[in-house]
Amino acid sequence: MIPTTPLLQLDRVGRRLAGREVVRGVSFRLERGEVMGLLGVNGAGKSTTLAMIAGALAPDSGSVRIDGRDLAEAPELARTKIGWLPETVPLWPELTVTETLDACGRLHGMTRASRNIAIERELLRLDLAPMAKRLCGQLSLGQKRRVGLAMALLHDPELLVLDEPNNGLDPVQAAQLRELIGTLSRQRGTILSTHVLAEVEAMCDRVVILHEGAVRHDASLSGDHGMLDRLFLAIVRGHAEAPA
Amino acid sequence: MSAFTIARLDLKRLAVRPFAWTLAGVALAILAWWFLLSLDAFMRAQPVLAGDPEGSGYTDLVAVPHLLNVVQLCLLLAPLLTMQALAGERRSQRLALLAASGVSAVQIVLGKFFAVLAFLWLLLLLAATMPVVLAHATTPDAGQFAAALLGCALCIAALTAIGVACSAFASHPALAAAAALAIGLALSFVDSGVRATGLAGTGWLSYLALQTHLTPFLRGLVGSADIVYFLLLTALALVFAIRRVANEKARG
Repeated sequence: MIPTTPLLQLDRVGRRLAGREVVRGVSFRLERGEVMGLLGVNGAGKSTTLAMIAGALAPDSGSVRIDGRDLAEAPELARTKIGWLPETVPLWPELTVTETLDACGRLHGMTRASRNIAIERELLRLDLAPMAKRLCGQLSLGQKRRVGLAMALLHDPELLVLDEPNNGLDPVQAAQLRELIGTLSRQRGTILSTHVLAEVEAMCDRVVILHEGAVRHDASLSGDHGMLDRLFLAIVRGHAEAPA
Repeated sequence: MSAFTIARLDLKRLAVRPFAWTLAGVALAILAWWFLLSLDAFMRAQPVLAGDPEGSGYTDLVAVPHLLNVVQLCLLLAPLLTMQALAGERRSQRLALLAASGVSAVQIVLGKFFAVLAFLWLLLLLAATMPVVLAHATTPDAGQFAAALLGCALCIAALTAIGVACSAFASHPALAAAAALAIGLALSFVDSGVRATGLAGTGWLSYLALQTHLTPFLRGLVGSADIVYFLLLTALALVFAIRRVANEKARG
């Protein structure tokens, strides 16, 4: 069998923030068409890991490789291949939804024609068309997250990095997002962070459990839903050895 | 290209933000009031001024002081308009978004700088139209007025760059504004002691002062040393800001 280059590969990535080691020697890989859940309690290092994958934060040690290329050596990969939805959606409150998406497309170097097509596509896909002319500062939390997701998807990235994507969404919107991620992941790799086990079981093919900045479990999801629950609790309570 | 994109985006945000337009409106109203007062004083002084063929005219007594008023207002306006430029972006995680979009620190800082500078230069141009509309009724010195306009534009660029640099280093926009105001005032008054002794224009304290380099422009003298001072001050502030933003990824 010919070994293929993974879409995303983290190799012993570490990062200190404010004097504390937030992420320690994290390694995992993600293939195209795969949805990976990054599971952990608050403060486990999920958002920091995702920020490093998105190119917003540089690792202190180790490497983040996209398609086999080191992100530190080719930062333009972040611009073209990665779509990032941070935990706090960074919107411009003075701009309308359409203006925000247009600005985001410009930052990604998209032409006017491709921007217009992509904006129309995302407005329809994320059910944002009725609020296209509304100011971002006036949107609800759930609407802001949908705009954030549209920003992440606008340039049709190969790797989608979603930090707590269901935050602020009502149950109907959360179900729609699950369907959307299922559809999107057929063409790209998706990594999403959450601390809700049910979300991982509903959306992901694989799960990585982070605890105190380190990978404690990395495996495909089995059909046994109770197993993940027990394993996660055991890791958090300090009864499980890492990594699997 | 990205610097232009960011400048365009920030200008658009300034254009729709009531804060910026309120500031600009209040500033123009204050400038108009000061202009009318100085014009009134000039008209009242006509009997005395008319008798002195070597005396100061409309340009010296009304037009140029009016431009100097714009610079003095910009000591306050530049910090207020630049305080959000990077400190605000950092707090709302938009700086991380820009970094993740592959935009370099140079492009981010230049984009932010040119957006505020364009806004303040527009304000300067609008203020400059006030003395210009009376040109047909007076005999203004166009050369002196143009030199003063150039000097004020350069000085405003330096104040804007200082504001952007303070915004890059400060954790909170209010701190950035306070620091930029303090630096602007310090550069304005650093040589006040020297001036009080009548030795203005000599020594390094005088060299540091904004006024030392702005005054020749206001008199109609365009000197390369003064241009270089303003350009150096602007470049130095922007370099500090760029270095700080470039370290952002590493610092977190």
